[in-house]
Amino acid sequence: MITIDQKAVSRKQSISVGFFFKNAKNKFSLKLYSDESGFEKTIYDQNLHRPGLALAGFVETFSYARVQVFGNTEMRYLAQLSDDKKRETIERIFQFTLPCIILTNNNEPFPMLVELCQKHQIALFGTPFGTTKLVYLVSDFLDDQFAPRISIHGSLVDVYGVGILFVGKSGIGKSEVALDLVERGHRLVADDVIILTKKGEGILIGAGTNLTKHFMEVRGLGLIDVERMFGIRAIRYQKRLEIIVELEVWSENGDYTRTGLDGQMVSIQNVEIPYIKLPILPGKNITVISEVIALNYLLRHYGYDSAAVLQDRLNQKIHHKMEEDTRGVDYFEHDFE
Amino acid sequence: MIEKTVKIVNKAGLHTRPAATIVKLAARHKCEFFISKDGMNINGKSIIGVMTLAAEMGSELVLTFEGEGEEAAAAEIIDYISRGFDEQ
Repeated sequence: MITIDQKAVSRKQSISVGFFFKNAKNKFSLKLYSDESGFEKTIYDQNLHRPGLALAGFVETFSYARVQVFGNTEMRYLAQLSDDKKRETIERIFQFTLPCIILTNNNEPFPMLVELCQKHQIALFGTPFGTTKLVYLVSDFLDDQFAPRISIHGSLVDVYGVGILFVGKSGIGKSEVALDLVERGHRLVADDVIILTKKGEGILIGAGTNLTKHFMEVRGLGLIDVERMFGIRAIRYQKRLEIIVELEVWSENGDYTRTGLDGQMVSIQNVEIPYIKLPILPGKNITVISEVIALNYLLRHYGYDSAAVLQDRLNQKIHHKMEEDTRGVDYFEHDFE
Repeated sequence: MIEKTVKIVNKAGLHTRPAATIVKLAARHKCEFFISKDGMNINGKSIIGVMTLAAEMGSELVLTFEGEGEEAAAAEIIDYISRGFDEQ
């Protein structure tokens, strides 16, 4: 069974506003209205906040540490205030340490807002996105940034659309299986170093690292670039982890499943993933078996469990003592082929 | 299990040649060997893994050895890293 070392798990506690702008600028078409003096501030909450009530004067439960979103409502409310009132209102919420402000729906800031943001070193952004859409997209982005990341040794391959992670001792042949699968038209996500990111509840997404993306080591050959060698069809950047296959040298005492009914699961960061222990024997084609594992997973996903079906048939036979021939066909009907 | 923290001391950092040497040294021993740095934990017997660390001069690596021959493996590899991979 594989175990995850705590040293392999990392989690960002915060990101700077500058980092947020650099990475989210294109995704959310962000425009910068203030100067960059607020870029050092940190974001550590993945949720966003609309400060409507805080602007109206109620700041007791103001979630000031969150990214603040000013939509049409906030901007209209501010617009109808006199200049003195406007300044007072904004200064009231700026006494808190806000990370940054995003104006949605193409709202343009009035000069006083820009001036006060710069005075308090709060970055001010604008986006054409509507408020609901932006809140959804930015919290998804922040969720991904703050998600736990686990580095794991193995090969992740997309086999018929199923993400299979091969693990096992160094030199057992994980890369070779991955290569063989690529040769048969499946797609490599990463080899040797896989970074798993927890997405929402119950989903782990695997990807390679920036540096070694689709490079692979083949023992006795050295390093190869799978993307260059096999082309774009042979790779993909990320894939949901759906099955873990552990390769190991056949052992007589090994406890290998014979029916597939006693499916094992392994838990990674509280995500349960089906786990299969596969013994390696001479003459055993791991690649073909991997394809069968993927197809069987798909069959089950679509409601057909081969082992369960055969189990049902056996139970029926035992209970009803059906008067049937044990042979699979009734009568050959002069078929001598 | 042996766990040790070592520092990269040579100017060029942990580049391809020393990475290959570490992997070769590790492969001679039966024990499991992992290196971790900045929340990454990689298999020290995999060249891609070791290269992924992109460890520069001054960075610290936590080495973990576990299993048969762990002492010999630890001694050999820690010595090689501390020698600056026989570079400047």
